Amino acid sequence: MTLKAQLKKLIVEDLNLTDIRPEDIGDDDPLFGDKFGLDSIDAVELVFQLKAQFGVEIKNMKEGRSVLRSINSISAFIEKRRGA
Amino acid sequence: MEIAFTHHQSAHCETGVLSNLLSHHGLNISESMVFGIGAGLFFGYFPFIRLNNLPLTAFRIRTGGIMNRVVKRLGVTLTWEKFRKPENGMAALDRKLTEGVPVGCRTGAYWLSYFPRRYRFHFNMHNLVVFGKENDDYIISDPVFPEPVHCPHGDLMKARFAKGPMSPKGRMYYITHVPSEPDFKKAILQGIKEVCHTMLKAPGPFLGVKGIRFLSKRVEIWPKKMDAKKAALCLGQVIRMQEEIGTGGAGFRYIYAAFLQEAAVLLQDDFLRELSDRMTEIGDLWREFALIGSRICKNRTGESETYPAMSAILRDCADKEARLYQDLLERIV
Repeated sequence: MTLKAQLKKLIVEDLNLTDIRPEDIGDDDPLFGDKFGLDSIDAVELVFQLKAQFGVEIKNMKEGRSVLRSINSISAFIEKRRGA
Repeated sequence: MEIAFTHHQSAHCETGVLSNLLSHHGLNISESMVFGIGAGLFFGYFPFIRLNNLPLTAFRIRTGGIMNRVVKRLGVTLTWEKFRKPENGMAALDRKLTEGVPVGCRTGAYWLSYFPRRYRFHFNMHNLVVFGKENDDYIISDPVFPEPVHCPHGDLMKARFAKGPMSPKGRMYYITHVPSEPDFKKAILQGIKEVCHTMLKAPGPFLGVKGIRFLSKRVEIWPKKMDAKKAALCLGQVIRMQEEIGTGGAGFRYIYAAFLQEAAVLLQDDFLRELSDRMTEIGDLWREFALIGSRICKNRTGESETYPAMSAILRDCADKEARLYQDLLERIV
């Protein structure tokens, strides 16, 4: 499974999004806001899961805001960290 | 017309705008340093102040306070203007831009058309820097955006003269003096001292470390005192204040840790570095608290994720923060 597919599965399963399927999430769709209904409380879980499942940690607010924007931005962040 | 202005994205508008403006005037200062000198770190739990009908929790001081303290402590002169007539306010902005001066503006974020519609909310204390004009558009450094943005004249005017609570009344500000050698050491010590005093000695049960302990007791009794839905709403309100999307809920503790690390270098004091590490660990604890809370709010809990477990983490946070501020205070006096 590709990294992006893994991330979509994680978002749907770990955030209990019952009415959304992983394939409904576009790579560049904004994750937070009206479309998928994610909010700042979901962000807490997402930050935790990225650390637990991919070993990448976000501790800088400035970084966090842009990383969690979309599937593309999260996967770019993980790949950058893995390559570093 | 565009002033050569370097835009840096930041976590917060107030600290970001000030860091960008000072850097433009040759005083390079990071956002965390602004936060530390401005004594931005705070805790307050206000059961009697209601936001969306739920008690208010704050993890940083009120908007505006940081800026005032930083300019005072570094000996910078920031000139403020406010206006009754929108036309006059916009003309004054244009004049400053023509003089080559980037101008900070306080705005109502709801009217800023470059915000995606779903992110717009009525908040009248949003800061940004205007640094150019192209036809009818202003060129703006909005610290929460990764790149500079454009905003039409009419929208910026509405934002600067937004109505409602804390209306900005066209307030704008610009730097008129920056000392050649500001006393960073003194400013850092003043900032640290103020945070320690507030967190350890603020009067009443709701502020500082005492406030964290107070909240710890409340969290434990919420599920006994109210139904599950209402208790989860109270909890969600706390977490929303400590989580800015992407921090994982550390409630500004990481940014303060970054400040302490920078201070350790500037003051050549390794003990401050140790305290910075301890503050990061405290941030991790707050994050753990937020994680359990978010799971309770979203019905994703396991067996150990309960209100009493959260209450225990808060007690631990309070103990560790109290020790840290005491050590910090002893170190600097």
